[in-house]
Amino acid sequence: MEFTTQLLYPIDQALLALMIFVIMLGMGASLTINDFKAVFRSPRGIFIGFVSQFGFMPFIAFALGYILKLEPAFAISLILIGCLPGGTTSNMFTYFSRGSVALSISMTTASTVVAIFMMPILLNLYSVGYTSQITAQLQAAGSDAVFVIPTGNIISSLILVLVPVIIGMFIRKKWADWAKTAEDTAGFMGMIVILYLLFTAFARHGKLFLQTPVEIYIGAISIGLVGFFFGSIVSRLVGIAPIFQRAISLETGIQNGPLAFAVILLSFSEPIQSQMVWLAILYSTFIIISSSIITLIYRKVGAFDYDIYRNTLIHNRLFGEKYFTHYPKNFLPKRIAKDPSQGNAPSQIRDLQGNPNQ
Amino acid sequence: MYYRIEAENLAQLYKKAALQFEELPAFAVRKTAMEWDPISYRELYEQGLCLATALIELGVDARDHVGLFSDNRLEWILADYAVQCCGAADVPRGRDVSNAELIYIINHSGLTVTFVENIEMAKRVLALKCQLHNLKEIIVLKDEENIPEDVRRFKDVYHIGKELREKGDRRVEERMNGIKPDDLFTLIYTSGTTGTPKGVMLTHSNIMSQTRNLPGKHNCNDRSLSVLPIWHIFERVIEMYTLSFGGCTFYSSVQNLAEDMRNVEPTFMASAPRIWEKLYERILKNVKHSHWMRQILFHTAYFLAKHYKSSEYFLTNTNLQVKYLPSWKRILLMPWYFIKWLIVIPWYGFFNAAVLERIRMGAGGGLKITISGGGALPYHVDKFFNNVGIPVLEGYGMTETTPVISVREKLNLIVGTVGPPIKETEIKIVDLETSQILYPNSNLPYNGKMQRGEIWVKGPQVMKGYYKEPELTDMTMKDGWLRTGDLGVITHNNNLKILGRSKSTIVLKSGENVEPEPIEMSLLQSPYIENCVVLGQDKKFLGVLIIPSLPDIRLLGFKELTVKEILNNDIAMKIIRNDVKRIISSANGFKKHEQIRYIGYLTESFKVGEELTNLFKLKRHIIEKKYSTQIDELFKEELKK
Repeated sequence: MEFTTQLLYPIDQALLALMIFVIMLGMGASLTINDFKAVFRSPRGIFIGFVSQFGFMPFIAFALGYILKLEPAFAISLILIGCLPGGTTSNMFTYFSRGSVALSISMTTASTVVAIFMMPILLNLYSVGYTSQITAQLQAAGSDAVFVIPTGNIISSLILVLVPVIIGMFIRKKWADWAKTAEDTAGFMGMIVILYLLFTAFARHGKLFLQTPVEIYIGAISIGLVGFFFGSIVSRLVGIAPIFQRAISLETGIQNGPLAFAVILLSFSEPIQSQMVWLAILYSTFIIISSSIITLIYRKVGAFDYDIYRNTLIHNRLFGEKYFTHYPKNFLPKRIAKDPSQGNAPSQIRDLQGNPNQ
Repeated sequence: MYYRIEAENLAQLYKKAALQFEELPAFAVRKTAMEWDPISYRELYEQGLCLATALIELGVDARDHVGLFSDNRLEWILADYAVQCCGAADVPRGRDVSNAELIYIINHSGLTVTFVENIEMAKRVLALKCQLHNLKEIIVLKDEENIPEDVRRFKDVYHIGKELREKGDRRVEERMNGIKPDDLFTLIYTSGTTGTPKGVMLTHSNIMSQTRNLPGKHNCNDRSLSVLPIWHIFERVIEMYTLSFGGCTFYSSVQNLAEDMRNVEPTFMASAPRIWEKLYERILKNVKHSHWMRQILFHTAYFLAKHYKSSEYFLTNTNLQVKYLPSWKRILLMPWYFIKWLIVIPWYGFFNAAVLERIRMGAGGGLKITISGGGALPYHVDKFFNNVGIPVLEGYGMTETTPVISVREKLNLIVGTVGPPIKETEIKIVDLETSQILYPNSNLPYNGKMQRGEIWVKGPQVMKGYYKEPELTDMTMKDGWLRTGDLGVITHNNNLKILGRSKSTIVLKSGENVEPEPIEMSLLQSPYIENCVVLGQDKKFLGVLIIPSLPDIRLLGFKELTVKEILNNDIAMKIIRNDVKRIISSANGFKKHEQIRYIGYLTESFKVGEELTNLFKLKRHIIEKKYSTQIDELFKEELKK
């Protein structure tokens, strides 16, 4: 598909820029220095998260682009989305899916920092085939330009985006009460801007929704879903506790959408910019719907193991670190009773050394 | 995953729970905010058996009565275990019992052995000893030094039993096998809102029907927070119910409630309306003092939640159905509510997560359900918590029905009602004057739904009768039907809605009947009114006595330090008067004769045990007696004419 008119008007771009600024500020406001330190304290979960975020996601994006035979601009956009770090939205969804919010925050923090160099490398790696296709298209159109991934621009736009994050962290440190308000306001703003973009796109380019080939919808929807699936399977195979499984799964599938806009607008130019932005808009919309549904499912499925986790945690909090919660025989499902990494409260760790219930 | 022990009597429940849940904590006692002492099901049962052996040794026979005058503490439960296991029944009452009541209860129930909470309580009983005919043994629950002579320590009694059991004494087991379903497990003296204490006889089959029939899905991951007095049957049944599914009850208190809610993160709780009113006030106060952006977020969130919930209630047929809505109309309205629901859901989703969750955290964040009982939950408070997403289920009952008659269910949660009757329970609505059955009655429109009358109840939870009061029992119970003395209606979706006490009904000179409770409850919405009582029996118009809430009035900028001073401030008084007029207006659905003509003020707050029952209900006859001069003053205008 071709974009005959510009997708984003200057006012939209300004709005997007504002949204990115506010959301990143909000993200910063939700972080503290301790979150960075926590990354090093529990490296296992983070490592698995790292593998699925930077190992699987870009590959999934690439594979989807290949299987669906997407046009180069859309494929590159999809790969870009695949290479993004996690955002704060995932922390909220993790909370409601009864997953480990601490892990989600740590993963967001770690991946945001790592993304500065991982993203350009991965993007270059996976989009080699597509850049030459674009160059060929450009040359066929009579231009002698050569398309390359603007690595330098990407790095600088990533760093630029980190500025409001740091400001946000500063606000959190200075005025802790204010931070939560800033965070919620940011989330609210983000929602309004995404909806505004969707509606204006609908009003101005109503046909766009019909013109968009079905593969692109499939790509935009399934990248998140496949990400959830892989994140969940991998962490489950490694034998990590269900609350961490849910966090990793959501963190893998939910990418930092606003960051995608920032990178695309700051680093790429037409003719592919509009196409890339369009995919990012579609992704940002569908990921909210799909992660809401996944969260509801996780919440239901995870209710029981989460209850056990909370109960033992509170027992240890109130009855002392050494207290062991003995559940009656056959109360714990085998999956949880035999899970060697079921939580890290002492009562759970003691399960390792031989649960008297078994 | 949900399991509930079924037993024939309490002793059997205790035994089965010990076998099933073994080392899981049954109760936990607070030492400091973050330090609690757990006691396991097995320990509790073993200690209970030792203590029961000691009671037998002290001469407690099967079907005897044993006193238990204490507020919530672990030893209470141990004493209860012991009493149940030796086949006796306990006679519980809190420390705030008056001397006159104490004498009446001990003599009327024929106590020979009694537990008391502490030395102070023991001394009170000793001082009355010459008036107590049969009392032989007093056992102090709290471990204290310097106990008076003739009084036993809990510890010592326990050791008597322990030694005997070690020597192979198995009399307790015989006693346990001898308990019949019709035996009393407790004899509760209610002072209630009227008259002299009455001994309500509750049997093992009564309480076992409650643990069997209460709706809800729980398991041994559940934590329950206990704040209501344990000797009140509502709290007690909830604790027994918690034992039946293996949960742990954490003993908190009203003072520590907010803190303990955060630390214990209860999943389940028995509560009284007062707790929710207080929490409601605190939340609104916090919002008022927060950053303006937060206020906007909160109000937006609440607005969305209100609309989301109202469409959800309509779509799931769980709205308050006071007026009959034919099903075709309902179906026609469905699309409208569905569209509203669809529009609201994404916004609600976000605000629910970002803003409302913080409010839920204030109640620990883990509450799956909480049952509110012991009084009517004000409609605005009820609506607020259910909109915010804290499922407060209002129940209805009385000591005479062990106590739950009906309670809302989580999946059929209709705000403004007290839910459908629980399993095995029947309800009918009876005309107060003609004794005609109004519901169910196929001759009346809609089978008698929305016909107001007295609630009669029949079911396995209905008491055996009043102890040694056959006449009173016959007056209250007919062919197994218990007259509750409460007014109610059945809504069009089969839920019970309470309208007030039939006995507190005010009959105006004009012959119009007025229920004071709904008016009082609405008045309490005003932040400037701490408490109030609506009066007007045989008068032309209603009057109200108000206790102004000084801190809230001072927030408006008034400098007065005492209520007395503020009463002389015309501007402040005008604010209160206007609030009364605004709330009790035709716009809010109050009929002409329900509106308030006279307003008077009281300077002292009502106190629990004096003007208020332990569950904060007004003791109207006491108030009328105590403030008779103020009441005469209130209606003096009418006398002049």
